[in-house]
Amino acid sequence: MFIDAMGLILAENRKLSLGELTQKRALAALPFAGRYRLIDFMLSNLVNSGISSVGVVTFNKYRSLMDHLGSGKAWDLSRKDKGLFILPPNVLSDSLSSGGDIGDMTAVLDLLRTSHWTHVILSGANNVFTTTFDDFYKKHVEAGADISILFNQDGPETARTTTVLKTDKGNWVKEILIGPESRAGAKYSLGVIVLRRQLLIELLSDSIARGENEFSMDQIMRRHTHLRILAYPFEGVCLKIHSVESYFSATMKVLDKSVRKSLFWSDLPVYTKVKDEAPSHYCCGCDVSNSMISDGCRVYGHVEDSMIFRAVTIGAKTSVKSCIIMQDSYISEGCELENVILDKNCFLRPGVKLVGQAAYPVVIGKGAVV
Amino acid sequence: MARRDVIAMILAGGQGSRLGALTKHLAKPAVPFGGRYRIIDFTLSNCSNSGIGTVGVLTQYQPLVLNTYIGNGQPWDLDRNDGGAFILPPYQKSSRSDWYKGTANAIHQNAEFIDSYEPKNLLVLSGDHIYKMDYAKMLRAHMDKNADATIAVIEVPWEETSRFGIMEADADGRIVEFAEKPAKAKSNLASMGIYIFSWDVLKAALVADEADEKSTNDFGKDVIPRLLSEGANLQSYRFSGYWKDVGTVESLWQANMDILDCPDDLNLYDRSWRIYSRNPVKPAHYIAKGATLQNSCLTDGCIVEGDVDHSVLFHSVVVEAGAIVKDSVLMPGVVIEAGAYVKKAIIGSNAVISRGARIGYSSVGSSPYLSRICSDDITVVERGVRIREGAEVPGNCMVEYRDDIVGDNVIERRTQVR
Repeated sequence: MFIDAMGLILAENRKLSLGELTQKRALAALPFAGRYRLIDFMLSNLVNSGISSVGVVTFNKYRSLMDHLGSGKAWDLSRKDKGLFILPPNVLSDSLSSGGDIGDMTAVLDLLRTSHWTHVILSGANNVFTTTFDDFYKKHVEAGADISILFNQDGPETARTTTVLKTDKGNWVKEILIGPESRAGAKYSLGVIVLRRQLLIELLSDSIARGENEFSMDQIMRRHTHLRILAYPFEGVCLKIHSVESYFSATMKVLDKSVRKSLFWSDLPVYTKVKDEAPSHYCCGCDVSNSMISDGCRVYGHVEDSMIFRAVTIGAKTSVKSCIIMQDSYISEGCELENVILDKNCFLRPGVKLVGQAAYPVVIGKGAVV
Repeated sequence: MARRDVIAMILAGGQGSRLGALTKHLAKPAVPFGGRYRIIDFTLSNCSNSGIGTVGVLTQYQPLVLNTYIGNGQPWDLDRNDGGAFILPPYQKSSRSDWYKGTANAIHQNAEFIDSYEPKNLLVLSGDHIYKMDYAKMLRAHMDKNADATIAVIEVPWEETSRFGIMEADADGRIVEFAEKPAKAKSNLASMGIYIFSWDVLKAALVADEADEKSTNDFGKDVIPRLLSEGANLQSYRFSGYWKDVGTVESLWQANMDILDCPDDLNLYDRSWRIYSRNPVKPAHYIAKGATLQNSCLTDGCIVEGDVDHSVLFHSVVVEAGAIVKDSVLMPGVVIEAGAYVKKAIIGSNAVISRGARIGYSSVGSSPYLSRICSDDITVVERGVRIREGAEVPGNCMVEYRDDIVGDNVIERRTQVR
């Protein structure tokens, strides 16, 4: 519970694109599971681990993220000299033009240098899981590792950006591979590392000095051969989001009882921005099955195997099947939707039919009128 | 700093004894209402939405839940640099210490607090009404008419006038007569318990009221009649729209059911006049395959596998497969186990209705829990109790843990509820 560490979340991952869904928002700001955005899970994990200083590293599409995070109050991160630090890139920085992860990181160096925490937990935001980092941190310190990386063995995975750890029997990392031919039993990095703050400052400064624009573990490892890197297994449910398809299938997995339980009912609350919506109203004649529905909705029609965000209206004689319907969307009467991702604030006119495939869901961009 | 136009004081100290077990552990304004609110959310949100940034909440009876709930007022936007939300319990003074004896006395005891803000006017509110109202409009009317006091009134059915304080107003709205719960009313304009006083006038009236030994120190019974007899300019302010005093089991149940009809004048979806509340940290609710839901309200964290018809479910309620819930209000964390049947009931927080139990199954039947407080076949279950498997409770029962019932075949045990 009392971890001498601060958190750093990389809100963007420029290797990943979810098309229209991440066109105007950072990956971390992607709405997920009815009332959350991806970053809520990592923020809650950090806060639930007792961490009270968190920097969120952004690049360019940070408007929706800042709107969501606000002062950090919802995560208990609105503190006096600690709390939430949103870190847009330093515009004057020369490294900005190079546009890699380090481009973002120059702005972070200041925060790292002025902090007093001994360790940093550095993470992306595209993996969804609920946990605390207590044991991870403890093991890192006990083992005397320089860097520890969280991994699991769910796979094989197809994403080109997958990072695979090759380790010895003691879980010490011998090699790091990016996007190798995937095979079962491989150790996939979850993109969460813990290291000393001072070491992170050194590694970052070193990379910047060499004009590099990426913070990649494999390069760091090759250059700093003396570093002892430990892999630490994560046993719980982890949903990995790296494409529209994986976003869609991850959402469908949340409907599963064991996944829901692991993400939301493990005694660790997942915090998010408060919206003060009214309760959802299920009207006469509605018919809902295997779906998660958030507050402020009005349901008149048929909903099946779907994830419905806040303040959505589903009209009478409308059928919504295997869909993700984001906040404030309005679906009129007599529509038929299957395998559709409807972004925020869309309006569907009466009688619209949209049918996608589970592997290729139809994506309707934010604010569309169909 | 300039004198402020108005600050608000909410009377939230009442016990609400007509709600029986529902107010055993908490004050009436803190009773959960409408799926995600507590009763006082409506008044607090009205203040915030009306632009009133200084709100005192007068607590006395079982204040713990209410105090923690209101906290620093942040959910209602009442955590202000200057002003904000304040919990005002009775306190010990150098010369004496007193409980709040009546509504007027409660304000009188806090005169110093009010004075510190130097308000021109004081808005006195009740913490146990369900309505949406713009107090700023009422204040404007009060100032336009240069009134000493303005009382919000609402038309009530003539046959119900004997339950209210009835105002008789002239054509301009000036109050000429006031009768508390009259047997034979001359008007059907009832006081809503919402007053705006010019603070200087009220302060003087409260001092006089305190000096009067016969006074019960109540606004309706003493202060208003006193001002009226002194010839003060008392104005009525007409309100039309949804307004309900939820002081009885029947009215509390009815008001919850009203929410299901989505009345236009109590539109909870209206973003320009939101009702705020302290939100639980729970995921979206889940409706399982095979569940049926008709005309019901659900909020975060619920899991529904059974049949729910015409009911209000608060956060984290679980209705297991094969359970049937009708015309009921299930407060936070209630579990209805498989095969249980619940009809026309208000189930208190975290209560568990075990497998096969039947609550409110019939309007006739005998039970040690039959209660005069419950009417219209409504059944109330105290928070935190576990009802035995297969137990049967007819309508009009107040099921609460009692020491005097031995060999209880209804309540299995009770648990502490936070």
